[in-house]
Amino acid sequence: MIIQVKDLVKKYGDLVALDHFNLSVNEGEVFGLLGPNGSGKTTAINCILALLTIDNGTVEIFDKPMSPDAYDIKRDIGIVMQNVAVFNELTVFENINYFCGLYITDKKLRATLVDEAIEFVGLNEFRKFYPKKLSGGLLRRLNIACGIAHKPKLIILDEPTVAVDPQSRNNILEGIMRLNELGATIIYTSHYMEEVEQICSRIMIMDKGKSVALGTKEELRALAGLGEAASLNDVFLELTGTELRDQ
Amino acid sequence: MFPILLGTLFNLAFSNLNKAESFVKINLGIIDNTEYQKSPLKMTIAFVSTENNEQNGMFRVTLTDVAGADELLKNNKIDGYILMNKGATLVVKQNGLNQSILKSFLDDYNQSSATYASILKSDPTKYQELLLNSANRLDFLKASSSTNANPDTTLNYFYSLIAMACLYGGFMGMNEILSIQADMSSQAARLNLAPVHKMRVLVYDLLAAVAVHYSTILIVLAYVSFVLKVNFGDKIFFIMLLSLLGSMTGLAFGAFVGAALKKSEGVKIGILTGVTMSLSFFAGMMYVDIKYMIAKAAPIMAYINPANVITDGFYSLYYYDTYSRFFVNAGILCVFIFVLCFLTYMILRRRRYASI
Repeated sequence: MIIQVKDLVKKYGDLVALDHFNLSVNEGEVFGLLGPNGSGKTTAINCILALLTIDNGTVEIFDKPMSPDAYDIKRDIGIVMQNVAVFNELTVFENINYFCGLYITDKKLRATLVDEAIEFVGLNEFRKFYPKKLSGGLLRRLNIACGIAHKPKLIILDEPTVAVDPQSRNNILEGIMRLNELGATIIYTSHYMEEVEQICSRIMIMDKGKSVALGTKEELRALAGLGEAASLNDVFLELTGTELRDQ
Repeated sequence: MFPILLGTLFNLAFSNLNKAESFVKINLGIIDNTEYQKSPLKMTIAFVSTENNEQNGMFRVTLTDVAGADELLKNNKIDGYILMNKGATLVVKQNGLNQSILKSFLDDYNQSSATYASILKSDPTKYQELLLNSANRLDFLKASSSTNANPDTTLNYFYSLIAMACLYGGFMGMNEILSIQADMSSQAARLNLAPVHKMRVLVYDLLAAVAVHYSTILIVLAYVSFVLKVNFGDKIFFIMLLSLLGSMTGLAFGAFVGAALKKSEGVKIGILTGVTMSLSFFAGMMYVDIKYMIAKAAPIMAYINPANVITDGFYSLYYYDTYSRFFVNAGILCVFIFVLCFLTYMILRRRRYASI
């Protein structure tokens, strides 16, 4: 088990963002985390990564308790955040090199990894470009490259294809599958059902800070009482309802 | 830019202040009567009046009668008048610097003449010896600056300006902290997830900030020294060392404010601005006497104000020959730097956030 989360509780004042939340992710799988707005997906990710204080529960990654100074665990984790987290003052190459440098101190190795990351996301022609000059799709690819350049064992992608055109999205999804084929365990959160359906081996649906359903696509269809022809979107709406959610 | 602009304004405001502080002759009236004409006071007055020595004379003397003197005093044409009537008496209308000088002069004359009269009465042969002593008396006291530096109150304004510029490094220090706080930016969140020791990140960031900020301080120093011609003395190494310590203190202070306050960026900047300006004010940047009032009423406050410590450090380098006062100030700044950096690290390490 790569990640083991037990009985996680996180409150923002009176609001219970995570309500005795449990999660287990196996090594080598692509795990999808779905949920409506405000369901607690990003909060769960941030708690797992020890960025947020938690009110109750335990988090273990690679069979070790996670904490802000668990540097040995952090070394093998790659993050692709929901918001693009790059420096506007650095070029594409410099950004990837900087973030990779936080994990890899060996200059030669880092140079190789950075080149591979740029190649992987298809930003070869844009090495000397500054982020402000990049389109939304290219910026997202840069964001991904910064998170995966150091070849982590566990990659967490929090809605990485927001505001990205279909071609770029397809390119990103293919890249994620390639990373998984190379041995990385992936946790993928998204609102786009077709993406999750395409790449994820196991899916958890969250709502109001709790896990509503967990399983393969087929298991979720069965749980929702829908036939094989039903899409993940149908399953999702059946399990979480059609009521509009506030963020 | 702001310290350079403010320094230029200071220079424009204070450039004639030293000239204005040159000594103005005192207008003195003397009642011209028989007793005065026969007394040694006449010779003494002649020695110190401008009549015989326009450049160095202290008093501009007007000989008159009592009614005339009263009229002149009433119309402020004279600061006071001396009446010889079985001894010298000073008549003034009000208290002030000139009146105090006149009184000191007359008291000194009365005391000396009484002393000499007493000596001559007991031993008339001492006459020549007394004459020599009184002539040499002026040589007993000679104003001598230990560093050949002239006391100059306007320097404090420029020194406190440099101190303020040093404390402005706090904004850079705060910025470095905001750049590593996960709840302030996505880049910082990514940085928090990296396997990098917080202390290392903090030290590297602050060192880079010191390098940049210290360069700007040197530019301000150069401008104030060479363009505005403000005298910092000739102890260049210690001036640069003090500037470096001041810059580091400012950065450390800003870093601490950035880490300690759980408020938005705008609020932190507002607090830092207010505190920096207050500390500069209490160091005498806007009203030089405040510094001395605080040193007298609450000396400990002078030592815990980094702006005042920096200002005092510059002044001690300019005015004193020894370095003991400078090293006390430098030591205090080192303590500030260490304590603030340590507290900042203790706040940041192992930090989790309530929300991002």
